Amino acid sequence: MAETTKNETTAILEIRALQKSFGALSVLKDISLDVEPGNVVSIIGPSGSGKSTLLRCATFLETADGGDILYDGQYAVKQGVYASKADLAKFRTRFGLVFQNFNLFPHYSVMKNISEAPLLHGQDKAEVQEYAMSLLKKMGLEGKENAYPCQLSGGQQQRVAIARALALKPEILFFDEPTSALDPELTGEVLKVIRQLAEEKMTMVVVTHEMPFARAVSNRVIFMDGGVIVEQGDPEAVFGDPQQERTKQFLRNYQR
Amino acid sequence: MSLMTMIVKMSEGLGKTCAIFFLTVLFSLPLGMIVALLRMSKNKIVSAVTRFFITILRGTPLMLQLLAVTYGPYYLFGAGVARNKLIPVVIAFSINYAAYFAEIYRGGIESIPVGQYEAATVLGYSKFQTFMRIILPQVVKRIMPSVTNEIVTLVKDTSMAFTVSYQEMFTIGKQIANSQTSFMPFLVAGVFYYVFNLIVDRVMGRIEKRLDYYQ
Amino acid sequence: MLATVLCGCGSSASDAKPADGSAEAAADRTKFIMGIDPEYPPFSYLGDDGAYTGFDVEVCQAVCDYLGWELEVFGVNWDEKLVQLDSYECDCVWSGMTILDSMKEAGYVLSAPYYDNTQVLVVKSDSGLASSADLAGKDVAVQLGTSGEALLQDDLDELAATFGNIVTCDSFLKCFTELEGGGVDAVFVDMPVATSYVAEHEGLTIIDEALGAEQYGIAFRADDAELCAQVEEAVAALVENGTYAEIASNYPDIVNNLLFLAD
Repeated sequence: MAETTKNETTAILEIRALQKSFGALSVLKDISLDVEPGNVVSIIGPSGSGKSTLLRCATFLETADGGDILYDGQYAVKQGVYASKADLAKFRTRFGLVFQNFNLFPHYSVMKNISEAPLLHGQDKAEVQEYAMSLLKKMGLEGKENAYPCQLSGGQQQRVAIARALALKPEILFFDEPTSALDPELTGEVLKVIRQLAEEKMTMVVVTHEMPFARAVSNRVIFMDGGVIVEQGDPEAVFGDPQQERTKQFLRNYQR
Repeated sequence: MSLMTMIVKMSEGLGKTCAIFFLTVLFSLPLGMIVALLRMSKNKIVSAVTRFFITILRGTPLMLQLLAVTYGPYYLFGAGVARNKLIPVVIAFSINYAAYFAEIYRGGIESIPVGQYEAATVLGYSKFQTFMRIILPQVVKRIMPSVTNEIVTLVKDTSMAFTVSYQEMFTIGKQIANSQTSFMPFLVAGVFYYVFNLIVDRVMGRIEKRLDYYQ
Repeated sequence: MLATVLCGCGSSASDAKPADGSAEAAADRTKFIMGIDPEYPPFSYLGDDGAYTGFDVEVCQAVCDYLGWELEVFGVNWDEKLVQLDSYECDCVWSGMTILDSMKEAGYVLSAPYYDNTQVLVVKSDSGLASSADLAGKDVAVQLGTSGEALLQDDLDELAATFGNIVTCDSFLKCFTELEGGGVDAVFVDMPVATSYVAEHEGLTIIDEALGAEQYGIAFRADDAELCAQVEEAVAALVENGTYAEIASNYPDIVNNLLFLAD
């Protein structure tokens, strides 16, 4: 990977001119994006704007058609060409992903959900379990380690999913609409956990429809529509004084 | 012939019936998984060929397949007919049931949400680890009722081994019925199969219960 | 004379002669009484319509039609059939009856055998097996529900016990496939079936040893040789004109063993 190293940067994630189409439908058109360490980037926009696809490309769940993806200045994707399977596996250890639908493993206890991946990566069992317990405590899920996902509320399940992603000690954590599948009264407990992670300077990219949350927690907000980044910047600027007509319209619709 | 003699004679064949049953279960369950994976292969030729074989195995009578496996090699290549009929019988049963299990597995595997694969992939599970640890255990739970159905059918299907002269319980029952001109052996056979399936049902029920710890 | 030969039976028929004291002349005969075992399908049995039927009954009916006789079917007590014949309760015993040497010795007139129930062993020509004794410990196939299978369980159970395995197939074709494919060492089968199969398939040999040999024939009283000849002639005529084969076609289980139809 040495020759693919690109220096003069401190960004954890760099995306350059990323393109993705599903058949004739162009979903991402030339998306570029940097995420600096300790930053929280919120991506907002209407459904179908491409924000989830962007996350899925960044986490290699979708294969981009063109552009670059770099982690810590190293190319995972260079002009649409992916690194080797083995290298991609190494890149995967750098990030975590929290899904809209949690995607917990229903046949595993909470503890096993969290600890199996680190154990498969060869980490020490006692350390993994200790760390898993500390994560559960942090998520406010003490005593739930032997429960099964079906015994937990949606909010609790999503917090287990966050703990599971954190167990691999990622450098950057992606959230794909983490509260969209939750009953309104349960979103608060999940957002609280994400806010707490932000305070701890966890680097995060959050696709969300929770505008107040995005405004309060993010360092930067990106508004996407039609496969392009329409506007981005400081949350106060984007929310308080949007420059683009589409942004204004979107935010207006949301406030109603 | 007294009822007792009848039962004793037929019990001798019960061992062979059990042999067909257990060996078929032993071989067809894993074989079915291989067939299911070939059927779902991304390679279109592999998938099409597998689907073709599945339609043949499911679309022709098991009795015909028993004859084909037992006597086919002789008629086609002049190869010897097996002395121990258990071998062709178990081969035919295993292949046939593998085809049915394959479709059950396929249904089960396809019913697992794609999010399970994605979560495992992002967490760094290899494809093999994902399948063995995440997908398969969930598939097993989902397909248990259908598998139980097939296994109950298998118990009754063992009687078809008589077509290739394997001296299992039902074949012996038929012989007795013939020589004694009595319907009694069929009644005895019916009771045997019923009790056998009662046990199968219990065992499968217990397994299903053990998988009930999550929903 | 009859009394002396029948004394072993414990009952004498000598005082039961009909009024005219002798066998009716062929020309005068208007009625023919056939003695049958009413429980011996498919040769003779009580049909669904309550009338006696079966292969033998149908053939006898055809004979009577041919000769212009009226047929009367009489159910005998099988253990006493010859006594009943001698006491003129019937004119013949014709009911899948096995011809026994003891009958000939006792002077009864017996028709030529019409049904061969002989069983033989078929082996591969290169097997070196030449007698039933050679088959000790060997596997033998037999067809389910045939007289061969019954014989192995019954009269020939001692021989059967020396075999390694008895493989019961549900068709004779499977028996022979097993043999040719090496699944068994011999097939125990009806003689006519064996003869025709071996004629059409190379490499098979019938072991020259009739097992459970029995042939069916018709028994008449000692002084009824002329009646016997009349019936035989009539049967021959029926064979000639195809009626016999037509009747036989209704009885697929026995058709292979009918001697008059064997080529």
